[in-house]
Amino acid sequence: MEAKENTKKKKGTFKYSKKLDKYREKILFPKKVEKADEVLRKVGLPKQLFKSS
Amino acid sequence: MAIDNYDVKYSSNLMTFEFVSEGIKGKITKVVQYTPRGLKNFYNLGFGDKKEETGEVDDMIITDNGDSKKVLATVASTVYRFTEKYPDAMIYATGSTKSRTRMYRIGISNNLKDIRKDFFVFGLKNNQWHDFEADKEYEGFLVVRKKN
Repeated sequence: MEAKENTKKKKGTFKYSKKLDKYREKILFPKKVEKADEVLRKVGLPKQLFKSS
Repeated sequence: MAIDNYDVKYSSNLMTFEFVSEGIKGKITKVVQYTPRGLKNFYNLGFGDKKEETGEVDDMIITDNGDSKKVLATVASTVYRFTEKYPDAMIYATGSTKSRTRMYRIGISNNLKDIRKDFFVFGLKNNQWHDFEADKEYEGFLVVRKKN
């Protein structure tokens, strides 16, 4: 008998970790955040978004 | 093809997530952070490796742990979780390098049909937003959860 390939996706679990609360006030990716701010400043939001909603 | 997700830990405000990639180079802790910006509901998605020795997070490291699809699927699962708590969030993401941005783009392209069921997806090119099209180059991405 041929073994069937298991195509069922294994969904990971989500669990609260108090340790991660230490990052609450800390920006871990400052360069990315700078880029995001630049996009907001120069480009703004997609006009399509306002048509869609 | 079904892609597994890693188990994920999250902070109380659901803005920081952590999971462990297990691959050919061993176990590597990954961190995802959603950072609110000046505009209400606009968040940056940052993603990188945590250095075990120092606890510092670095998004320039190239890990090549052989599990990039599973890692991307896990990051995507945090987007779902985050937008369950913050349904009006507009999430901006870009790679720290061109190749990483390309990897994100391929990840979105490969799952676009499913992603579009729940999200509006936009791609940034030449300082303009476009409706995301599979296999087109973009400099960044914006996803917004649909009101189902």
